[in-house]
Amino acid sequence: MTPGGQAVAARAQETGAPWRLSGTLAVVALAAAGASLVIGRTSGGPTFGFGGPDLAPIVLMEIRLPRTLLALLVGGTLGLCGAALQGLLRNPLAEPGLLGASSGAAFGAVLVFYFGLAGADSLALPAGAVVGSLAALAVLYALAGNRGDFLTIVLAGIAINAFAAALTSLALNFAPSPYAALEILFWMLGSLADRSLAHVALALPLMVPGWLLVGAAARGLDALTLGEDTAASLGLDPRRTQWLVIGGTALAVGGAVAVTGVVGFVGLVVPHLLRGRVGHRPSRLLLPSFFGGAVLTSVADIAIRLMPPGPELKLGVVTALLGAPFFLHLIVRARPAGGA
Amino acid sequence: MSSSLSSCANAARRGALACVLGPRARAGLTVALALLVASRPGAAPLPSVASINLCADQLVLTLAAPEQILTVSWLAADPEESVLAAQAARYPLNYGSAEELLRYRPDVVIAGAYTNAFTRALLTRLGYRVVEIEPEESIADIAANLRRVAHAIGRDERGEALAAELAAREQEIAATKPPRAPATVVVRPGGFTVGEHSLADELMKLAGVRNVAAEQGLDRWGSLSMETLLASRPELVVLSGYRASQPSLANAALAHPALRLVRQSQRTAIVPAPYWACGLPASLDSAELLQRAVNP
Repeated sequence: MTPGGQAVAARAQETGAPWRLSGTLAVVALAAAGASLVIGRTSGGPTFGFGGPDLAPIVLMEIRLPRTLLALLVGGTLGLCGAALQGLLRNPLAEPGLLGASSGAAFGAVLVFYFGLAGADSLALPAGAVVGSLAALAVLYALAGNRGDFLTIVLAGIAINAFAAALTSLALNFAPSPYAALEILFWMLGSLADRSLAHVALALPLMVPGWLLVGAAARGLDALTLGEDTAASLGLDPRRTQWLVIGGTALAVGGAVAVTGVVGFVGLVVPHLLRGRVGHRPSRLLLPSFFGGAVLTSVADIAIRLMPPGPELKLGVVTALLGAPFFLHLIVRARPAGGA
Repeated sequence: MSSSLSSCANAARRGALACVLGPRARAGLTVALALLVASRPGAAPLPSVASINLCADQLVLTLAAPEQILTVSWLAADPEESVLAAQAARYPLNYGSAEELLRYRPDVVIAGAYTNAFTRALLTRLGYRVVEIEPEESIADIAANLRRVAHAIGRDERGEALAAELAAREQEIAATKPPRAPATVVVRPGGFTVGEHSLADELMKLAGVRNVAAEQGLDRWGSLSMETLLASRPELVVLSGYRASQPSLANAALAHPALRLVRQSQRTAIVPAPYWACGLPASLDSAELLQRAVNP
């Protein structure tokens, strides 16, 4: 196909594609959720039963349902925020993890978890995660947000990320027991195992406003692709867009990390996987990325339960294992077009 | 009261819709009941126990009647981790997830205070009795945990007996302290050592050796540089072996040339890791082991 033909095809694809793609991904996510409710795991490895009629309601409602819901919600959050941050910073490397939002949230949660005030079920844990997430993104914004310079933002993000990770390691050093240190380490790898409906109830009130804030930035993100001055001349304040995305990401990712720990790679890879299908306007990528993240995370969490008998793998490990090959495939396929 | 009745009552308490036992479960209960009647004539049935943490497992294996134990965690059956591996291997092993534990329908779940935080919270939410065991940092902690687990599983007498035995053995070992306490350095894989307020340190005190790291103010656990080790001129080097046959960077630290040099001129004792990882009556064996190394 000639370059001109490609462009025409791309434009034809752009119209109406996000809704169709979102719909398809939503159906796939629902199918994955259905499978997730049926597939369990016991000492003998994967199981498709419910352990007898007396246990079935408990297993279904109290163990598999929260896990399934959280996979959808957390995956969706990471996909959506990844797409929004990549649009805001006009940088394909941006993701909640790279910018320190996740590691900030994890540090906040770890502080509360082990040295703070209360047990795993109190509101202190998600509050700590949100404060950590907000703090990390606020520092980033103070350092680099106004300049809109890609390199500064990404480098500042990497530095904040490393700093938050170092603080978490410091927490590890002062952990009251080697066992506590081990739990902090596991927390950094993410997991959905044995979460309850109480955790859904904790995360949802943070995630929904976060999604809405990010969604409200959709038009502003489109305008930003034309440059900050043009965006301002269109009546869309770039700073308002930035705060919507950063605040929304902090709330939603803070809520997600508070209940699952750090789940890597979803926010980075999902927008890339879908961008080719909906075109390059950030607003068109938000909803598909939400459902794409939900699919990837649900499938990863199902894969964990299908592994042969043994201790459960951590979710962050499996999302990277599943996502990385797709990502590499995408890079290799894109290279000739870039002329490299 | 029959055991099947009590498990129906439990199911109702947990909010199950019905208490319907499958034929296999019913057969299992009959066998369990027969065992109970055979071993404890006239006594009320003991609560069934599931354990999901290595240290909890070993306390349960030490205290419980065999027919009480439904399942222990997979680490308990690993001889590199557990001093009761052979005994643990007789029971079904679990990986500590709520879904597998539900299927055992335990009356009591024994867990560690730091591990499986989400599983503990979920089981508690579902109405199970979850008993959390703090890691033992002293011999007094061992006795306290013995009593605590024993009480939770209806074996108070056994708990008291073992605690008394522990105290007697502690006195016995204290009476055979070496006349002069040798300067001792503990080297664990990865260059870690033990400090004050740790079970290992208390066992060393009991054995009558001086823990140099604790004297230098190390609290609980921390790392030990080769230089500190050499400067402290140890008379006894204690290696805490852990998976020695499997290569790891942590174990490479135990093969440091400087350490080898010290070992050539000074005495060495090797304490297998499981004796210090969890506080158990068997942990006192390590104190005897140290005394034998000082006074062969």
